[in-house]
Amino acid sequence: MTRTMRTWRIVLVLAGIAVALLGAWIMVDTVAWKKILGLATWLAAAVIVHDAIIAPGVFAVDLAMRRIAGRRVPTGVIAIVQSGIVVGSVFTLVVVPEIVSQNVGKATGTLLTPDYGMRLGVMWIVVAALTALALVLYRVIRRRQKVLPSDDQD
Amino acid sequence: MRRLMYEMRRALQSPPRHPRLAVVVGRLLGAAFLVCFGTGLYSHFLQNPIPGMVFPTSPVVLYSWTQGIHVAAGIACFPLLLGKLYVVYPRLFVFPPVRGPIDLVERASIAVFVAASIVQIVTGLLNTYEWYPWPFPFRQVHYALAYVIVGSLVIHIGFKLPLIAEYWTKHRTADEEGQPLPVMETEGEDAGALRDTVAPGDAPRGLTGRVLRWIDATPDAEPRVSRRAFFATTVGVAAGVVALTAGQSFRVLAPLNAFAPRTMGIGPNRGLPVNRTAAAARITEDLVGDGWRLAVRGRDGVDRLFSYDQLLAMPQHGVDLPIACVEGWSQMATWRGVRLKELLAAVGRRPGEGARITSMEVRGSSRRSEMSAQFIDDDRTLVALRLNGDVLDMDHGYPARIIAPARPGALQTKWLGTIEVTRS
Repeated sequence: MTRTMRTWRIVLVLAGIAVALLGAWIMVDTVAWKKILGLATWLAAAVIVHDAIIAPGVFAVDLAMRRIAGRRVPTGVIAIVQSGIVVGSVFTLVVVPEIVSQNVGKATGTLLTPDYGMRLGVMWIVVAALTALALVLYRVIRRRQKVLPSDDQD
Repeated sequence: MRRLMYEMRRALQSPPRHPRLAVVVGRLLGAAFLVCFGTGLYSHFLQNPIPGMVFPTSPVVLYSWTQGIHVAAGIACFPLLLGKLYVVYPRLFVFPPVRGPIDLVERASIAVFVAASIVQIVTGLLNTYEWYPWPFPFRQVHYALAYVIVGSLVIHIGFKLPLIAEYWTKHRTADEEGQPLPVMETEGEDAGALRDTVAPGDAPRGLTGRVLRWIDATPDAEPRVSRRAFFATTVGVAAGVVALTAGQSFRVLAPLNAFAPRTMGIGPNRGLPVNRTAAAARITEDLVGDGWRLAVRGRDGVDRLFSYDQLLAMPQHGVDLPIACVEGWSQMATWRGVRLKELLAAVGRRPGEGARITSMEVRGSSRRSEMSAQFIDDDRTLVALRLNGDVLDMDHGYPARIIAPARPGALQTKWLGTIEVTRS
């Protein structure tokens, strides 16, 4: 490691600690301790939900797909299907709380007006259709790639 | 335990879990967080200025852009953060978890960053839905956590600087055959040493061993395809969630707006959305009837009361200005009313003096706003009486409201009661 790199690392770590401490000070200065404890439960829950539920869940789904189909179908096919699932899942993650909010949040008449459930359903159909299209294109391209080398030899 | 943790990390290996992708996705996530931080600070200080701060009043769409970008970048952080966490997840099982005081700082900064980032983007998103299911105040916590996140991010970058430098460009990411190296081959820790010291027959037994053997028997993904698909999906989802939500802030994306909490063109006064209704603010017909007066107070004891008809009798000016909400949505509208500076001139306001504007609503964070001289002196700052060609709707602040360029909607005080000249 060069001396410049070492200096930069020290500067960044110290600057980061200073900024993080400023945030902690603002927190303590503006938020009651009881509320900070409430925040602490949310911070802990966030890590647990990701590290103990979402991440192992994603691993399990990936493993199961490779286990079931890995020997018979190319990685590209599995990757395209997985991409479709990820796209749909991230949108679902963002939109489901929106659907819940329509029932429990503030009603102003101009907030959260559309039927998000229906739109989410349409979105999944579109993602499924695009995934199918991508699979067809992938197959066509793979076939051409397999055919081309023998063409070159002619 | 060391062996178990090693096996966990080995089992979790997959081609995208590679330092190069950690750097590539990390760059995008870091950029998104810094954009959120910068635009968030701008919004914060507009609403809570430090004495001496001066803010531009042009372009008029400045705040609708900065806050629209703030929310869009925040939503883009969902796939980017999940993608980054996916790449580095095996690091959770490094053993021993902490190797010394400096290592403790690094691990702690990551724990703080992950926890705070998830809470920040989740609560930020729910705030745009105006749903607050948590036991702490949103505004203060969102502001304080922003510093904590950026601080821990900078600490993380400091610790990872050699790795970031090494993998900033593409080289050193593939083996001789051009295949991407798996993450454990490149992180140079106990993995290699442990692999060398563990005898082949020393595999875990019992349930753990069976699970690991089952995982080992699963066909591996082809690295290059898997890695490219991962990156394309992460960036694609980020672009997708922005494209399908940012239409609440940017007219050009409005036709694609499928999932934003606000839709342009829905609301009173020819389709202008409303954040706080008259009913929520407890503004009744009696309060805004014939007896309504706008009290304007100078600093030299000069007080004037203006009836609605007296305001209408003053010179009227028209401007096109957006309503730009802190929750990210914005929409351009045509306003007509009295210039604020002309109204304040009637009570002897001097150059450089500011104003405190108070609504008739009894409580609520948008009840009162402070306005500095540069906004008052702008010709486009009005006490608005008409909106999009009609009299202000009750929900838009009838009988009179403030509208000024490049300011958050929360400061565009509705149902005006009093305007006082202040020192600055």
